[in-house]
Amino acid sequence: MARITIDPVTRIEGHLRIDAVVDGGQVQKAWASCTMWRGIETILRGRDPREAWFFTQRFCGVCTTVHAIASVRAVEDALGLEVPLNAQYIRNLILIAHALHDHIVHFYHLSALDWVDVTTIPQADPTKTAAVGESLSDWPGNSDKQMKAVQAKVNGLLESGQLGIFANGYWGHPAMKLSPEVNLLALSHYLQALEFQRKANQIVGILGGKTPHIQNVAVGGVMNAINLNSLATLNMDRLYMMKDLFDEVIPFVQQVYFPDACAIAGFYPEWFEIGKGVQNYLAVPDLPTDIASTAFDLPGGTIFDGKLAGVRRISGQRDEYFRKGVVEDVTHAYYKGRGPQPPWQGETIPDFTDFQDDGKYSWVKAPRFGGKPMQVGPLSSILVGYALEHELTRKWTDLALTRVSAIAKRPITVDQMQSTMGRYLARAIRAAVLSELAVRHWGLLVSNVQKGDATVFNPPSFPKDAVEGVGFHEAPRGTLSHWVVAKDGVIANYQAVVPTTWNASPRDEQGTPGPYEAALLKNPVANPEKPLELLRTVHSFDPCMACACHTLDVEGRTIATVKVL
Amino acid sequence: MTPLRIAVFGLGNVLLGDDAVGPFIVELLRAGYELPANVSVADLGTPGLGLPAYLSEADAVVLVDAVAARGEPGEVRLYRRADLHRVPPKPRVSPHDPAVQEALALVEFAGGGPRDLLLVGIIPEHATLGAGLSERVRGACQPAIEAVLRELTRLGAPATPRAVAQAPNIWWAGQ
Repeated sequence: MARITIDPVTRIEGHLRIDAVVDGGQVQKAWASCTMWRGIETILRGRDPREAWFFTQRFCGVCTTVHAIASVRAVEDALGLEVPLNAQYIRNLILIAHALHDHIVHFYHLSALDWVDVTTIPQADPTKTAAVGESLSDWPGNSDKQMKAVQAKVNGLLESGQLGIFANGYWGHPAMKLSPEVNLLALSHYLQALEFQRKANQIVGILGGKTPHIQNVAVGGVMNAINLNSLATLNMDRLYMMKDLFDEVIPFVQQVYFPDACAIAGFYPEWFEIGKGVQNYLAVPDLPTDIASTAFDLPGGTIFDGKLAGVRRISGQRDEYFRKGVVEDVTHAYYKGRGPQPPWQGETIPDFTDFQDDGKYSWVKAPRFGGKPMQVGPLSSILVGYALEHELTRKWTDLALTRVSAIAKRPITVDQMQSTMGRYLARAIRAAVLSELAVRHWGLLVSNVQKGDATVFNPPSFPKDAVEGVGFHEAPRGTLSHWVVAKDGVIANYQAVVPTTWNASPRDEQGTPGPYEAALLKNPVANPEKPLELLRTVHSFDPCMACACHTLDVEGRTIATVKVL
Repeated sequence: MTPLRIAVFGLGNVLLGDDAVGPFIVELLRAGYELPANVSVADLGTPGLGLPAYLSEADAVVLVDAVAARGEPGEVRLYRRADLHRVPPKPRVSPHDPAVQEALALVEFAGGGPRDLLLVGIIPEHATLGAGLSERVRGACQPAIEAVLRELTRLGAPATPRAVAQAPNIWWAGQ
């Protein structure tokens, strides 16, 4: 029996820590913990609600825009303030571009090397690799020449003995199963992906004024002046500059990322049997298409116990089912508390102890919906969309499952997506769905502007009495909600319930584990010294601690420790 | 000859005490100095794997960041590319984990990245929520700025002090 602790200390304080007890080649018990105080909300008390978004976008350096937009939505909800159509579309385009960027980065740069063994690439036949590429997609970037160039680069690196970017992989691990050709193809796309994640980010910059911290959001709309004839504003040139970038990013999503995710899923079908975990799913509707934010292009809802037929729709931010459903439990978190609290009444009073297996062990609170732990993320969004018969979700999910089944030579069903591999596949499906919606929302914005509507902003006014609002966003990592209480024009309370809080939540009052902890049970671990399989399941959730204390470590420290019990 | 594209990037979370030192110095630089047209300055926050895109768009990069190093809080340490390559990358868990070293290795492997790189590192005293910069790190700002200015001069793009200094935009400090 061994206990594995994965605790990356790339920053001075605070991070996701995973503990797992492994026996008989499988995880028997697991804990997910955040080692840093996540009380950033306290900084917002007493501030002007109109400027909260400027601070919230600094919660996390990776997901800046999502916290900006969730924040203004929360304040707008508290005020009952409508949002002009142009502002809805502009925000939606920012959110879509950001999500495409984020999903591409996750698949290629954060998780592909869990499945792709770079050290086999010298054995690949570049011509055969190009043929595999052509069999999977029409993408023009899979030529023989491209594969030879990438192979030469890898050979050079391996011969130098300085693995650089690849120095931390679990190479030669028995769980690595792809042929050298598929590994080479994937690595070629890993390099090309750098270019497309950059282009997706440029779209955010065109609309947001700047990246990584956008400047154009406001409570009541956006601050992009629209004048089709002025150079200084959002004009036709800029709209088409954005369209050109989408026209490059979208084929990469549909012809490279999506087929790659299907191929990897098809070559590793056993991972559809691993990592199921918590089978309650939560997703919120997003991409509003009306000024009152009641109609959406992406549906939201809940599924319990893995039963898609029992899906219940969440109609919008005003839906009491959502507003009353969310509570946070601090039984096993380093906070003082008096039982589960709704976020508007939420407190953040630190109560630090050591890591106690059966007591408090995390800085993450345990959010619950109707008393249950919920899984959030692309898988939730895809399962809810599928169950609600959302057309685009059905189209891309069915296409993905057909492709995966053909490669795996066995049928893979939508129910089997409740697994580690399902989470990877769902993210690619979601990217494909969003890539189609990008075109639609660009068209909606342009035609609305051409009709002569240049309105981007409705000014807010604040009552003396306390008002409560919730703003949500189906972010790349899942359901994000900001909860604000404003009184007399200042913030009285503010809580952000972020996706990783749902997924990395510790046990609750009843001792029920959170989604990471549950998904790791029975996860295979062939060699505790090289816990690759464990990382696959953790990475499938796309963890992000939304606290981003990131002080750079220039001296190097160890991160994974194994203790024989 | 096209002038070098030079970028000065402040890294760090402005809400977390001394971790804000990178963005803080960027704001001091903007407020106090006229910069040549080929020098851009940005507060990048904590971009994780967003960083390669920024690194790939410049010929020379000066990073200003809080660093975890053995030494006294407030010490300024300078690192060149080779120093950063000496630190082995680590298994990634979250998108923040790929640190500067990994972002650099990634753009270099892809065949891009800056030709020149300097990291101006400041050893922090605390990275506590909302606490602002500690006295010792505040004291490190002037030597750190001077290190940035020396690098700009070395790159042939010297900055000149503004005739009338502007107030730096430290919007995150104070209520």
